[in-house]
Amino acid sequence: MGVNDGIRDNTNYSTIPEGARPTLEKNDAFFTKKRFGFIFNEEKKTKEVYKEITKVQDLLSPGNSACLGCHAELALRTTLRILGPNTILAIPPGCMGGIGAVGFNGGAGAKIPVFFPLLDNTAAMLAGIKRKYIREGRGDINVVAFAGDGGTADAGFQSLSGAAERGENIIYICYDNEAYMNTGVQRSGTTPKWSWTQTTPVGEQTQGKSQKGKDMPMIMAQHNIPYVATANPSYMHDYIAKLKKAMKVKNGMSYIHLYSGCPTGWKFPTEKTIEVGKLAVETNLYPLWEYEDGKFRLTHEVLKRRPISEYSKSMQKYSHLTEQNLAELQQNVDANYKRFKKLCKI
Amino acid sequence: MGRVDVLNGNKAAAWGAKLARADLMAAYPITPQTPLVEYLASFVADGVIDADLVEVESEHSALSVLQGGVLAGARTFTGTSSQGLALMYEPYIRTSTMRLPIVMALVTREVISPQTVWGGQQDAVTVRDAGWIQIWCESSQEILDSIVQAYKIAENKDVLLPVNVCYDGFSLSHMAERVEIPDQEQVDQFLPKPNISHVKLDPNNPIAVDPLTPGPMLTEFRHKQVTAMNVSKKIIEEVRQEWLEMFGRDYGGLIDQYRMEDAEIALVCLGSPAGTARVAIDEMRNHGIKVGMIRIRVLRPFPDEEILKALVNIKAIGVIDRNVSFAKGMGISFLELKTVFGGLKMPPMIDFIGGLGGSDVTMEQIKQAIVITQHVSEGGEFQEVTWFGLDQIDVETLFTMDKDISLKLKGVSG
Repeated sequence: MGVNDGIRDNTNYSTIPEGARPTLEKNDAFFTKKRFGFIFNEEKKTKEVYKEITKVQDLLSPGNSACLGCHAELALRTTLRILGPNTILAIPPGCMGGIGAVGFNGGAGAKIPVFFPLLDNTAAMLAGIKRKYIREGRGDINVVAFAGDGGTADAGFQSLSGAAERGENIIYICYDNEAYMNTGVQRSGTTPKWSWTQTTPVGEQTQGKSQKGKDMPMIMAQHNIPYVATANPSYMHDYIAKLKKAMKVKNGMSYIHLYSGCPTGWKFPTEKTIEVGKLAVETNLYPLWEYEDGKFRLTHEVLKRRPISEYSKSMQKYSHLTEQNLAELQQNVDANYKRFKKLCKI
Repeated sequence: MGRVDVLNGNKAAAWGAKLARADLMAAYPITPQTPLVEYLASFVADGVIDADLVEVESEHSALSVLQGGVLAGARTFTGTSSQGLALMYEPYIRTSTMRLPIVMALVTREVISPQTVWGGQQDAVTVRDAGWIQIWCESSQEILDSIVQAYKIAENKDVLLPVNVCYDGFSLSHMAERVEIPDQEQVDQFLPKPNISHVKLDPNNPIAVDPLTPGPMLTEFRHKQVTAMNVSKKIIEEVRQEWLEMFGRDYGGLIDQYRMEDAEIALVCLGSPAGTARVAIDEMRNHGIKVGMIRIRVLRPFPDEEILKALVNIKAIGVIDRNVSFAKGMGISFLELKTVFGGLKMPPMIDFIGGLGGSDVTMEQIKQAIVITQHVSEGGEFQEVTWFGLDQIDVETLFTMDKDISLKLKGVSG
């Protein structure tokens, strides 16, 4: 199959080396019972969770304008189901703004109060809302941000960091698709090393982004707020449990960093989103953890780590990587994971 | 009937916010607004006011917190100056376009570069078209009173625009004088609790706020915004009358006139130079020069009709500006004033630029301005824009051209 099948494509492919194709095919036998029995436990949990959440109202409109296979849209839909109608939602400029907030027809995408903050003041605006409602004795209203990586780690970071330090009682969810996707795939502060984007192209002189991305969830944990977690919509049961914990926090900010696979920006087949998301976790590239009461805890043990090449080869944004690049990447992933395991034992 | 205290401009502003019962405040300290934040913090610490004071990490967040607060129904207050206003610019514009009735003290200051922390009006006049109402004060008493009035104007259902209460940094912010602090009960009677419901984020009534807006709708929106700004002129006058009846104090509504009844020439001022000008006018009147003053109290909306009515029989106008526009190297008041006359025959107007970067607009300078304006009113020629301290004002040559004025000048000097 062609790599672009079903992908709404407005990007310039000339910077992608010719002949590059994702290696994930429809018949990939990666997630089979024979190879990994534990994955079936995961799938069982996921099924149960979906059964549970479909019983509650879907607060995101059907027929929204998200790209096919969008991880973030799945996460937003589920997030609203868990948060429920007693919620005020802020979506700064980014992919989800046009989906959860409002289109040209004047109707809202979300069936709860929703607004666009500026790209860089989400946390501050939410702090004002929450403070007023606490004063009015309506502190039970969930005041929630659903922001992209640019609105979180880059332009929005000052406001977010300030709100975290002041202990504002808001829930901040960052869906990290590792670039400015809504404007057509430009690098952000969380874009990982060697990623192809429109502003970190692959050419004679450059091989994608030359710097490593910011580790946002770890930075937020260093703010010592009550609750920080990483999550991945491919492990929905894990995310939902974490979101429920975040909703219970009353003494400060809770922050959830969501892995968010992007078929359009990363260039993988739209039906592979869940699998790509799982590969990120099973390669230890994106460990699922939470930080609570000053302690780090892994919430998903990877029994047998997959090589990072399986992940990088699943999408076109890494298709230019050499064996040497991959070896270095593997080294980085392993070192990071080792360090993280040590943190968990503190 | 209230009490009397000695307050500087910043403390008067803090009292204004307290009496207006603002319940959500956020501010970041910046010279010369800093004492305002400190007074608010001490009011909260001492239980004088019952409000959330959010100690934000920047001015950008200060105004953003207030935006959130208003969207949840709060009455809000903040203050800033100069670079703080510049950093706030992004949410600043949005406050007016979202029609959020926020009141903000704008303690005016020069903008850098060159490096400066002193007074001037450049910050406020630069943002005069960001959609905020701008009320300019001349005394601590006026600052306190105007802040309370500002909420009544901002929250009026036909206005719903944010208001800046502007006062010159240091000249007013740090100058202490006698101020009457009204009783809380009386202010409560004047200013009822806010009922801001035109735009509210409330799960009981879910709406989407500030959606993507296509051109034709945006045009209509902007037109309504401009209309509201015009309507605010009437509301400002009504609030003035009500305040006068209840508290017995008046500063003029849109413009403040001084000895204009029989004036032949007029000074036009904005902010703190007006105080000096009053004394200078009294003195020059003793020398037979029939001079009066118009203080522009509201710069936005611009009181063009009121100014035109006041200046219709004036022979020459001297404008004192503590700010500059790069349009033609003249001050903002001067530039705005020129638009008032439209196709009508305009009396000669001279612009005097001074008081930049914290320097004083001195009594002597204002007297010079009056004498030059008088000279021009009698057909004398002079350059359109004069920079105090830079331009050589050749008074000797000027006045040898006119015997009478020369005599008057001697009177001034003597």
